[in-house]
Amino acid sequence: MAEKRDMVQIDSLEKYFGEDKERVHVLKGVSLNIPEGSLYTFLGPSGCGKTTTLRCVAGLERPDGGRISIGGHTVFAFGERVYVPTNKRPIGMVFQSYAIWPHMTVSENVAYPLTIQRRSKDEIRRRVGDVLKVVGLDGLEDRPAPKLSGGQQQRVAFARALINEPKVMLLDEPLSNLDARLRVQMRSEIKSLQRRTSITTIFVTHDQAEALAISDQIAVMHGGKLIEVGAPHQLYARPTRRFTATFLGLTNLIEGKVVELDGDSKPGKIQTKKGLLTFIPAPGLKKDQAAVISIRPENIPLHKEKPQGLENVLEGTIKEAIFMGDAYQCKVAVGDDLLAVHTHPFNAVSPGEKVYLYLDPGSCNGLPADDTEGIDETMLGD
Amino acid sequence: MRRFNSQTLILIGATLFVLYLAGVPLLMLLYGSIRSAPIGEPGATFTIQNYVKAYFDKEFYFLFLNSIYYGVGTCIVTSLIGTYLAWVSERTNTPFKKLFVVMALIPFIIPGILSTISWILLLSPKIGLINLVIKELLGLESAPFNIYSMWGMIWAESIHLYPLVFLLMSAAFRNMDTSLEEAALTAGSSTFTTFRRVTLPLMRPAMFSVLLVIFIRGIEAFEVPALVGVPAKISVFTTKIFLAIHQFPSDFGLAGAYAVTLLLISTTGVLIYGRITRREDRYATVTGKGYRPRVIDLGGWKYVTCAISFLIFLLAVILPVFVLLWSSFIPYYGVPSRELMGKMTWANFHYILNYPLALTAFKNSFYLSVGSATVVMLLTSVIAWITVKTKLPGRALLDNMTFIPIAMPGIVLGVSLIWVYLTLPIPIYGTIWVLLLAYITKFMPYGIRAASASMIQINKELEEASLTAGGTWFQTFRKVILPLLMPGFTAGWIYISIIALRELSTSILLYSYNSTVLSIMAFDLWEGGQYTYVCALGVLMVLLLLVMAFIARKLGAKIGIAE
Repeated sequence: MAEKRDMVQIDSLEKYFGEDKERVHVLKGVSLNIPEGSLYTFLGPSGCGKTTTLRCVAGLERPDGGRISIGGHTVFAFGERVYVPTNKRPIGMVFQSYAIWPHMTVSENVAYPLTIQRRSKDEIRRRVGDVLKVVGLDGLEDRPAPKLSGGQQQRVAFARALINEPKVMLLDEPLSNLDARLRVQMRSEIKSLQRRTSITTIFVTHDQAEALAISDQIAVMHGGKLIEVGAPHQLYARPTRRFTATFLGLTNLIEGKVVELDGDSKPGKIQTKKGLLTFIPAPGLKKDQAAVISIRPENIPLHKEKPQGLENVLEGTIKEAIFMGDAYQCKVAVGDDLLAVHTHPFNAVSPGEKVYLYLDPGSCNGLPADDTEGIDETMLGD
Repeated sequence: MRRFNSQTLILIGATLFVLYLAGVPLLMLLYGSIRSAPIGEPGATFTIQNYVKAYFDKEFYFLFLNSIYYGVGTCIVTSLIGTYLAWVSERTNTPFKKLFVVMALIPFIIPGILSTISWILLLSPKIGLINLVIKELLGLESAPFNIYSMWGMIWAESIHLYPLVFLLMSAAFRNMDTSLEEAALTAGSSTFTTFRRVTLPLMRPAMFSVLLVIFIRGIEAFEVPALVGVPAKISVFTTKIFLAIHQFPSDFGLAGAYAVTLLLISTTGVLIYGRITRREDRYATVTGKGYRPRVIDLGGWKYVTCAISFLIFLLAVILPVFVLLWSSFIPYYGVPSRELMGKMTWANFHYILNYPLALTAFKNSFYLSVGSATVVMLLTSVIAWITVKTKLPGRALLDNMTFIPIAMPGIVLGVSLIWVYLTLPIPIYGTIWVLLLAYITKFMPYGIRAASASMIQINKELEEASLTAGGTWFQTFRKVILPLLMPGFTAGWIYISIIALRELSTSILLYSYNSTVLSIMAFDLWEGGQYTYVCALGVLMVLLLLVMAFIARKLGAKIGIAE
């Protein structure tokens, strides 16, 4: 596959809110490259700067430093005083509230980007028809906007953003106002729509499950900084930052000290309170460095008898076992710590049972212990 | 980066216009009050002579006291009537209370000059209907009531102003959390004790701000003091200013000194009011929780409250409207009798409609009212966008500037504008344009209030969606913001066009023969003693007002959101 060029380039973006004493530093040098045709997600807790970054791309906020280019054209450059206003940028945006104008019908809303360009009536009618078909709203052209359901409003918002054939689609938490069932449905619709149109799309969300399900690439953000970028599977299975490991899904953290290393991504040894464990080190981890092992609850097979010939086996007692239908969610006491373990329902367990946990060495990710960015705010494992 | 796009031009233009409208008259008034002669006359110098003449006149203290008495008296009477009616219609099970709401608001639509005239026709010692009837019934020697007294003036003013108290107090009663009263009832206190110990104290802040509004309106009032106070030789600030200009030769400097004094009093009132209501906004009511006002069961007393209410309406609505209608159909003024009934005629209306100036006055009033309402609402919509939606520096100042004219009594604004357009090389003095500018200035505060209130309701994303769809600021404003603003826009427009049509106190200093308006025509006819003609004109004015309000409502419903 040919190397894809970057559709959106963001370089050292800085942004402050408020004045004087109440000045808050909301973007601290965010740099990102978004490949053409990809569905790229900004993920992070509220206040991490993801929406602000998106609004800077849209031109709705004016950054206090850095530069942004879309499709190779600089739309903002702080030093050179370049600022292309929102309405001149090749973008389409879907807002959290959908921002469907209540004084217009469905087709008036969708046609708006063309109407203000004074396109011919025929062209407008044709293209509105086309785009409404794409989002599955054909036949509702003359419905007044306030008479739409939440899901329909969202489709109108998409149609309105798509009709001008933008280079970049900006989606600001578009699913957060829908009920749970509709959210899952719209999630896959957005994904397939993006596949069909292959418009570069930036998707902002605080919901990690949504991000994992929908994205080609995820940029994890916290406290106005970019933490880590990667494909969903890569970020989930092999995070290189502690924040990513704890924010994306559940994980167990075991502290220790690296005693043996055999190079990046090759198994090493770490000394913990629970004994010597085999693990996969994150790039840059050094011998004798304080580290933590992050291992997901579903990567810990649970045995009732001590398995023979395996390393990384710990002995523990079940403290809690909650039956979820598709799994048992267990809390297992190992020494003074509780580990979260998810096990298949075949494996019926009950509190008080003595069990053996196999910490699959390939799933034990060793991360530097001093990488505390965003850690104090996120409750670990409990 | 383009430096001058349509957005920048419109924003700068609107801001400059507001600064000009609100700032220049104020500066010219202050300047004029310290000049020895009108600007343009040779040899004029700076002087404090005007203030010396104003303050060391022994009449000044009577003037001051009269104004205060008048303001306070009006406060007392209006708050008694207005609060009583608001309480009855919002919080009790008194029969016919829906009807009361309509009745209470009728005096709102009757121009001040007409309601003043109607009370003279009812309470004048010589020709007052009430006096004549009571004298005849009881065989009295002299008339029991005299409109030409301080209390007569207060009464006439109060009947004109109480709907304002009614509206504000109704809102206060509606917004009150009734669970506070229910708590008192469950604690064992009676309905009356609850009202006295819980309801009234809770209403105190609202009550105080209402009193302040009425006091300001009272000392700014012109119609009653001019028509009743002048013949009764009871002077207040507004009439003193009017007379200083209407005497020959006009004493603009003296008028300016009095105007500055009046302006100081009303500004103080407005500042205190602003402080109180801001605090109220911050702490109270806006919880988004829909209180359902608890209706108090008055038992047998509900017939008493009903009777009192009807008595008030008989006095405040039925008698004045009746006397206007009656007088408009009779050839000469007199007590209704079988003999006069037989002489009822359309002649007064014929006379008015064929009066040489009438057509001009109707046209001018109509243009001014529609024109000023439209300009004010467009202008304040832009200003409200700046003050509500942007973070531009100085936006709070702009908001305040737009609001300044609320503190300017109509007569003071008139004096200021005389100074402005006698000085500046803008040749509009004596034309309808100076009246238009005056009306725009005067009604700007009402416009900004309506426009900001609706602007706050518009979600920012609705506007951003237009920008991201490629719309320019101007397109966004015209196609998204204005239509969404339409309900507030229309409400403000109706209100302004109605008060513009009745405007007298500013116009009377600025009109010329060709720019006569309806209220001026009524004033002149009255001064000429042509009572029956005035009443016919008044009936036509009220009809015009009703038609305008009706049309505007229909239009607004069509342009705005259908729901």
